[in-house]
Amino acid sequence: MPSNGIDILKILEDKLQNKPVQIVPGTLGTAAIITKSGSHRDVFQILVDADEKTAVVSITGIDLGENLGVYYHVRTSNALLTIQIEVPKANPTLASVNDITPSAAFHELEVTDLIGAVFEGNPSSGHFVLPDTWPEGVYPLRKDVNACEVKLDPPAAEEKSDDGKLVKIVIGPQHPALLEPEKFVVLVEGETVREVRPRIGYVHRGIEKASESRTYLQDVYLVERICGICNSCHACAFVESVEKILKLEVPPRAKYLRTIILELNRLHSHLLTLGHAGLEIGYETLFQYFWRDREPIMDITEILTGNRVISSSMTVGGVRRDLKETDIPKVKAVLSGLKKRLPFYVKVYREEPTIGLRMQKVGTLKRENALKLGVVGPVARGSGVDIDVRKDAPYEAYGEIPFKVITYDAGDTWARMNVRMDEVEESINIIEYALDHLPEGPFRVRAPRVVPAGEVVNRVEAPRGELFYYVKSNGTAFPDRVKVRTPTFANIPAFLTTAVGEPLADVPPNFVSLDPCFSCTDR
Amino acid sequence: MISKPATGKYPFVKCVPAEGFRGQQVFDIGLCVSCGLCSRDCPAKAIEMVEVNGKKRPLFYLDRCIFCYQCAESCPRNAIKATDIFELATTDKSSLVVKPTTTQKNSGA
Ligand code: SF4
Ligand code: SF4
Repeated sequence: MPSNGIDILKILEDKLQNKPVQIVPGTLGTAAIITKSGSHRDVFQILVDADEKTAVVSITGIDLGENLGVYYHVRTSNALLTIQIEVPKANPTLASVNDITPSAAFHELEVTDLIGAVFEGNPSSGHFVLPDTWPEGVYPLRKDVNACEVKLDPPAAEEKSDDGKLVKIVIGPQHPALLEPEKFVVLVEGETVREVRPRIGYVHRGIEKASESRTYLQDVYLVERICGICNSCHACAFVESVEKILKLEVPPRAKYLRTIILELNRLHSHLLTLGHAGLEIGYETLFQYFWRDREPIMDITEILTGNRVISSSMTVGGVRRDLKETDIPKVKAVLSGLKKRLPFYVKVYREEPTIGLRMQKVGTLKRENALKLGVVGPVARGSGVDIDVRKDAPYEAYGEIPFKVITYDAGDTWARMNVRMDEVEESINIIEYALDHLPEGPFRVRAPRVVPAGEVVNRVEAPRGELFYYVKSNGTAFPDRVKVRTPTFANIPAFLTTAVGEPLADVPPNFVSLDPCFSCTDR
Repeated sequence: MISKPATGKYPFVKCVPAEGFRGQQVFDIGLCVSCGLCSRDCPAKAIEMVEVNGKKRPLFYLDRCIFCYQCAESCPRNAIKATDIFELATTDKSSLVVKPTTTQKNSGA
């Protein structure tokens, strides 16, 4: 199994003898590692020392009655591990692993805010996701809390700059340059950025909590609305999770059809952001060009699924509609039309001086920092880290379709955008291959509505990077817990570090090169 | 270099959605057996079962509807059918409440 020679489970077993650690292979990813607070730090230290790609993917906080479960989901180069710790609700403290792997920092703060586990060594300064005026001691993801009943005071006004030398520039939550609302406080000294403080949660809709009061069938449509752009990725990640608990095998034709729809998501998302980057650097022609060529992709999404944006095509057991033989030529015509235009765009992104001046050596994220921060998707690949769930843990038809994982080494804004530029062609090739090799047979199988008890983790590669789901069933038609970690959440730390020391004017291109999506981030 | 604009001339030239587009759903009371499955599965709670001549029938709140067509899929009698009507914008939300009367056409909202 280990492709690069690291057998992480063996290493853990060898080094953790006589420690209160139990390794259960095959559950919650490659293995679940059940341990106690304190010992989990030993596990992390071993992982970080053994594998440079070790990073915290997400942390699920879960209400287990008397106790709180804190599940660290950790990615290594060839495994996905879940380190499970339980702490009593009466004293929900455990040691942070922030100092061992900085990729944990953001996730720990989120768990503190939403479910009330306290991480010693990663103190939270006020609310991280919840509104500033949210009452202390009320944790919305605990089972006994009904978030609708919480009464909020209106927010206080933003206080003025905190010290004479630095000027505080508040970007967001509503700001003309941001397409979605989120707040970033940028502290500048003259023209130079000294610090960026994020304040997420402005569009938090409580979807994780809401999913607990809806059936699995209804939740497919709910999670799909976490993100308009990568809606199919969310739906796919969720239905795959449910299928894993059900041990339901999806017919091959459905796998190919899902792959096609997922790649259409990626195509229109990348074209959108490649154009949007033009807008942020004052290159509006490029923006218009890209968006014109994105439109036919939306049209074929509508042909295939019934809607140009929210596709509602995934369902537990397969896809909701078959692909008609007569539609295949239409899809192929659009794809080959786009392919003909690509050399022009590739040339613009590689050689155009405006792009070079505004994007090269801007927001440079070195490979070692990308690994430390645990960034995902094109942001990681632009810094030379070759991670891609489609290759690392193939799902749907990706294991059978040839494609390249694009990486660039420069690590700057230019590299991240060029990763996406090159991925457009890979996506077109994947769809064409899938259409040519579409298996015959049914496109869905019947799935029961009641799901047996169980818990799974699942990942898909969304356009912005690895999208993570944890789903726990309690044996009814309603899930017990759904945890979603979106790629932008994992990528924001990259912006916070790379913007520092650069001119304020470089913030927009740097920021857009993450392809940030805040309705995703907030859920 | 003069070429045709890339944009369409909507609303002067009508925009025709693709075949299979999920527009406003229409309900055929003649086929309905009052089972309530559509209402139970609707993820947006957009269907209320109301009484019409002594039988429970679905009433659609199109202002809440997300046009997922789960209702159409769940209906055992195909009483909920697709149309390509998408021009539902209105300044009066109450015009988006579609009552189950007799066999109906588009509410004209
Ligand atoms: S289309 Fe979806 S949201 Fe609308 S009424 Fe039917 S089930 Fe409900
Ligand atoms: S599911 Fe169909 S038959 Fe049943 S109540 Fe709804 S419309 Fe009528």
